[in-house]
Amino acid sequence: MTAASTPSATTAKGIDPRGPRFTAGVVAILFLVVIGLALVGLANPAAATASLGLSIFNAAVFLWAAIRGVQHHPYGFFFKKVIRPRLKPPVELEDPIPPTFAQGVGLFVTVLGIAFFFVVGPIALVVAGAAAFVAAFLNSVFAYCLGCQIYLLLARAGVLGRKRPAAA
Amino acid sequence: MTRNARLTTFETMDAANVAIALAGLVLAATLLGVLHRTTQGRARSIPTRWKTDSRIVSIDGVALGERATLLQFSTEVCTPCKSTARVLDDLAARTESVTHVDLDVTHRPDLASRYRVLQTPTTLILDADGAIRARIGGAVRRDIVVAELQKVLEPQKVLAA
Repeated sequence: MTAASTPSATTAKGIDPRGPRFTAGVVAILFLVVIGLALVGLANPAAATASLGLSIFNAAVFLWAAIRGVQHHPYGFFFKKVIRPRLKPPVELEDPIPPTFAQGVGLFVTVLGIAFFFVVGPIALVVAGAAAFVAAFLNSVFAYCLGCQIYLLLARAGVLGRKRPAAA
Repeated sequence: MTRNARLTTFETMDAANVAIALAGLVLAATLLGVLHRTTQGRARSIPTRWKTDSRIVSIDGVALGERATLLQFSTEVCTPCKSTARVLDDLAARTESVTHVDLDVTHRPDLASRYRVLQTPTTLILDADGAIRARIGGAVRRDIVVAELQKVLEPQKVLAA
């Protein structure tokens, strides 16, 4: 067993770190809308349905980005085409793996909210939406790195990170 | 009766109340972010109650520095690990007999557990015997690492800064 000091595998070319932060900002705003609609939806079924619909949309975007990689994120595409040309080039590029991991976590939380909606009602979308909002907001505004904070907790709990077969 | 009372509260969830709730959430998230930022990069010492096993570092395949080691724990899903590696690499290169080791524990949760690593990057500053003298959670700040390294290397000077 080598616990050697090998740097983690990095892709040859990275992504502009501002892309995922822009994306997270859009996601944060969408989750504020989800929460707002769900709160109104506690008494108003139409608003609850709208909140559910937007949650499903958010989950679909998370799913896409988690599977294809954050470099193929639809909002990231907007950033690349419209915003990035107006900015200075980035100081450094970053690995797409950490933000892609965060998309998977976002997907999990959003799907959990959708599932519990059918059990406990719109309050599930408020709770899940708040969790997703906080993570996306911190990422966008404070460059918070979700993978840094929760990956090892999950790995230590045995959920992630078991050694892959050596013949990879 | 209770149910009716609750429904009434919900019905008062008008636009103004929803706006207040959302503003509260944004404020809470901002406070969390500020709090989180202040905890990152701080150097702490190891509680004496920890078992010797988790106070002295000895890992197969990891060669420690002659006078001190900057042992960094990283994972693949960690963006600030790269900038931390750059700072520590540079410090080790400028300081005689000090080594920087960047340990990828993506598939080694056992090591993360043994040294109680909860987040990445986590940096342990080890003395010549491999004993942990300080630990830094989150992206490192160069001045803090230099100060901690200085304590380990006394009385010799760190050639960095």
